[in-house]
Amino acid sequence: MSVALQRARPWLGTLVEVCAEASAAQCARRAVEAAFAEIEAVHRCMSFHDADSDLSRLHAAAVGTAVMVDARTVEVLRCALDLAARSHGRFDLGVAGKLVARGFLPRPRSPFTPDAAANWRDIELLGDDRVRLRRPLWIDLGGIAKGYAVDRAIAALQEHGATQMRVNAGGDLRVAGPREEVVHLRDVEGRGIAGAVALRDAALASSAGAATRQRCDDRWSGTHLDARSGETVGLSSSASVVAPTCMIADALTKVAFAATPAFARRVFAHYGAQAVINDMRDCGGVKGRAA
Amino acid sequence: MHVRWLIPLGAAVASPVALATQYLSVPQAQQEAFPGAGEFRAVPVPDAAALAAVGVPAGWAPQIFEADASGKKLGWLIVDQVIGKSEAITYALALDTAGAVISLEVLEYRESHGGEVRMPAWRKQFVGKTAADAAALNREIKIISGATLSCRHLTEGVQRLLRLYALALRAPA
Repeated sequence: MSVALQRARPWLGTLVEVCAEASAAQCARRAVEAAFAEIEAVHRCMSFHDADSDLSRLHAAAVGTAVMVDARTVEVLRCALDLAARSHGRFDLGVAGKLVARGFLPRPRSPFTPDAAANWRDIELLGDDRVRLRRPLWIDLGGIAKGYAVDRAIAALQEHGATQMRVNAGGDLRVAGPREEVVHLRDVEGRGIAGAVALRDAALASSAGAATRQRCDDRWSGTHLDARSGETVGLSSSASVVAPTCMIADALTKVAFAATPAFARRVFAHYGAQAVINDMRDCGGVKGRAA
Repeated sequence: MHVRWLIPLGAAVASPVALATQYLSVPQAQQEAFPGAGEFRAVPVPDAAALAAVGVPAGWAPQIFEADASGKKLGWLIVDQVIGKSEAITYALALDTAGAVISLEVLEYRESHGGEVRMPAWRKQFVGKTAADAAALNREIKIISGATLSCRHLTEGVQRLLRLYALALRAPA
């Protein structure tokens, strides 16, 4: 006999749902609490908004200073830098300055203003959990940290003896255990259902450019940028990516928007990921120039 | 990693599209927040004038419970609801006697799309292996992915409950 427990709490700017099955109620309860504790820890380390987060301390330090961060932040930075290299900068964690300029993120407390030419190559991992910026740059982990939080929560559930589990952070989710689960996919406007995917021991992330767009200087602007050009991408698209981990699935939704299908296929193959990309322009969707 | 894409390739499938999950009942939320409490006493909602000062519309009616153990007050559990664009969230905020947050739990989540399974241009780009099996689409929706929901309404709800505490529940200094 197994007991199922399902809880939802607001974290990471969304609603996070944790589901766990275990042999006893007490075991399931401990597993769920441990999962939420991990999510909270990731939130506190990697929030762009919290003044005490690792990112905020990095932004508050002078350029060239080594800043001690949590080992989890290093893990996400390492993965993000690898993704930036493999996607030829289409995924770039150094775009926060552009997002601040467009009003998508608040201006952080920082002694400098980002250098428009600075990018992910200017972020140095020095070892011993120290990070240094070589040029003025603000980091945004919004496109990857949520997925990482989901992965950490899944690991916590497994460590605490859960047998079948699922963590869903506002649509970025991962399932683990022997049973297959069917996930429905919202359509590009978020109103209906456009498909579904059955998953076992896999992660899924979806992203819709249209859902985040804002009017900016008389043009449509979104939170997904092709970091190389600074142009908004994916304004009329949505992408659903399946990958072995939620961190990779989350980050690859951004590559899906910025890359040509052939390039995306190569990057996705490297990470063992699959995707389906829905372009709304086909059905008379969003009109407007990208900023 | 095992994946089966279930993408509709034919005509639109009419299907009620709604997602609803109950996480906790009110008594369960009471017990989890205050395991030592022997009694949960309903506290009347403040009058309209007081509610106006909290900055909420007329008709707002949170349920307020005072948790007691052998006549000693442990804190409050306040059950409230927020309505977003297409979702309704019932949640419970537990406060200790000093007004500090003990826990915040979602009790029930309901989302209605007011639509049906739509048939957009999924055919366009598939990266990786794909398959089609539209039948499974009509299953009950338990998990959903897509345009990320904001928890802004929930955050605003918690803020109004903290104002309600300061106005109506806090012991006079």
